[in-house]
Amino acid sequence: MEEKYLICEDSIEGIFTGIYDAYALREGHEHIHIQVGEVDNYRLFADYLYIQPDPVKTDKVAGTLRRRLGEQAYLSICRAAASYNKEEKGDAIYRTVVDGITAGSGSRVMENLKNPYVAKTFELARYTANEAHYEMEFIRFQELEQGILYAVIGPKNGVIPFIMPHFADRLSIENFMIHDENHGLFGVHPAKKEWYLVSEPARFAKESLQCSQKEVKYRDLFTIFHKTIGIKERENKRLQRQMCPFRYQDYMMEFTQK
Amino acid sequence: MSVMDKLKILSDAAKYDVSCSSSGSSRANDGTGLGNTVAAGLCHSFAADGRCISLLKILFTNECIYDCRYCINRKSNDVPRASFTPDEVCELTMEFYRRNYIEGLFLSSGILYSPNYTMELICETVHKLRTVHRFQGYIHIKAIPGADPMLIQRAGYLADRMSVNLEMATAEGLKEMAPNKHRRNILKPMRQIQNGIAENKNEITLYKHAPHFCEAGQSTQMVVGALPESDYQIMSVAENLYEKFSLKRVYYSAFVNVNEDKDLPAVTGGPPLLREHRLYQADWLLRFYHFKVDELLTVDRPNFNMAIDPKADWAVRHLEVFPVEINRADYQLLLRIPGVGVKSARRIVAARRFGSLTFEDLKKIGVVLKRALYFITCNGRMMYPTKLDEEYIVRNLTYQNQLGRGEKLPFLADGTTYRQLSLFDV
Repeated sequence: MEEKYLICEDSIEGIFTGIYDAYALREGHEHIHIQVGEVDNYRLFADYLYIQPDPVKTDKVAGTLRRRLGEQAYLSICRAAASYNKEEKGDAIYRTVVDGITAGSGSRVMENLKNPYVAKTFELARYTANEAHYEMEFIRFQELEQGILYAVIGPKNGVIPFIMPHFADRLSIENFMIHDENHGLFGVHPAKKEWYLVSEPARFAKESLQCSQKEVKYRDLFTIFHKTIGIKERENKRLQRQMCPFRYQDYMMEFTQK
Repeated sequence: MSVMDKLKILSDAAKYDVSCSSSGSSRANDGTGLGNTVAAGLCHSFAADGRCISLLKILFTNECIYDCRYCINRKSNDVPRASFTPDEVCELTMEFYRRNYIEGLFLSSGILYSPNYTMELICETVHKLRTVHRFQGYIHIKAIPGADPMLIQRAGYLADRMSVNLEMATAEGLKEMAPNKHRRNILKPMRQIQNGIAENKNEITLYKHAPHFCEAGQSTQMVVGALPESDYQIMSVAENLYEKFSLKRVYYSAFVNVNEDKDLPAVTGGPPLLREHRLYQADWLLRFYHFKVDELLTVDRPNFNMAIDPKADWAVRHLEVFPVEINRADYQLLLRIPGVGVKSARRIVAARRFGSLTFEDLKKIGVVLKRALYFITCNGRMMYPTKLDEEYIVRNLTYQNQLGRGEKLPFLADGTTYRQLSLFDV
């Protein structure tokens, strides 16, 4: 039988719609593949179907996954869907869903690490989760003129949806926004309201933002604290770099300002 | 004196306190102020020594009436002295916290006038932070030995974690190093906090909204390498603290001779970091791997092997247990295999329900095969033909270390840390 490639948009919606359509084909799963984003090399004896993201289908798939696989496995799948790894994530997630729902591993699906696709989903989800954890730790907010807190990050995976709930709870009384400049996405939280996502406006320049008066003072205070709290006799830059890699340090003012 | 100068002096004075964890307490925001706590804890930055910065770690004041020989803030030292006001501490905490610089406050203090006076100052500051500023993040308070039990009790209801430093592993050692401190005065608040936590647990089961008392438990720290105690002595004390005082953590602090006191050992080649590292490894074995100190060390072998880690060291001396069959062994036994951690052991137990595991699967699960391969079989087979022989395995493990492919130490293999080449090395 001919191989079929379902080409989906790079988003949770895109992938879930792809999974819905793959099941709707009713041709078994062996010859169907889900490909995220563009196709680099077209194969001769393969069928390519372009899938438009569909909110109704997405909701149906999400509902089924939560019910049949449980919240934990569903969260892992969402994390894998946010992965930077476009080549592998589509198929890995699709076949993980097949393992859980059709092969019947159910809520234990993420434990079936013998299945290479589950292992891949597990690996991608772990990477997103780890990066989200790092960003929760290393994000630096600055206070803008209007009293709004603004932070910019440059993660590899699409972590914003996974870190917003944390800050929305912690900083519930603040107006804040987190800007992912790699994915062109903003997470916005108005004080005491629900948070939401918006894409980066055209011609947005973070350099044009004005900091508040007090901002420099606290930035300097923390930079001093950061310096004095280290023990000279134990200096260990290698360990520092291992615990807090350069790509995060580039966004942290205690490392960037002298 | 400006806040900047105070922060410089009082964070510099607090840096020898090791504890900086923000874990163990999980609390959602109530909508009236800033902050929440996360069970796993968060590290917000890393200092030049590679240690995490999670809390704003400061002393309230570095004035002190005591004269402990290892301490930089002792009475007889001529160092710049400073004190915060409660408002300054609150402002720094709140402003740092909302910028996500820190996870909360770690407040300790030198002894100003008397233990009671000092403890009251600390309580007042934290009370202000909790009530006036409605701060709901993490707070770690040092209990001052000798302070009134009522004050300790009050602090416990404000803090997530409290700690009393044991300082030295033995009572004699403490007497020698800190003439104004007594072991009895240290253990008393520790016991009080332990009982407070236990009672509070019962209260919370009965009354859901009862206030929490030290939700994240208590910790302590010991200095390592200032006196000639053995690792066996230190670990036995730690084990006792975990079992009899229900501590959450014991910290070990490699001795730094800050005062260049002539009666204290001169630490050439820097603080004993490798020894400290081995103690922490063993500490983890006690808390998460169900080991007992007597299994790791004995009176005749009182110190850890510096060449290999304590778990591998135990394994090569108990080869009768190995090789362990990955597909059959129970969880407890899996935990004893070098190269298998808590997470991989759990994943193995879960994954083997779906079929028998191969070495390839183990790699994906996260087992460190280069260490584990001497000790395991998958479906009755070893990964490579190896000898189950103590000398052979130790030789291989340490040879890997020499190649830089073995045990991952947080510093260079010669025990020194990252260091720039100076003229004198050439």
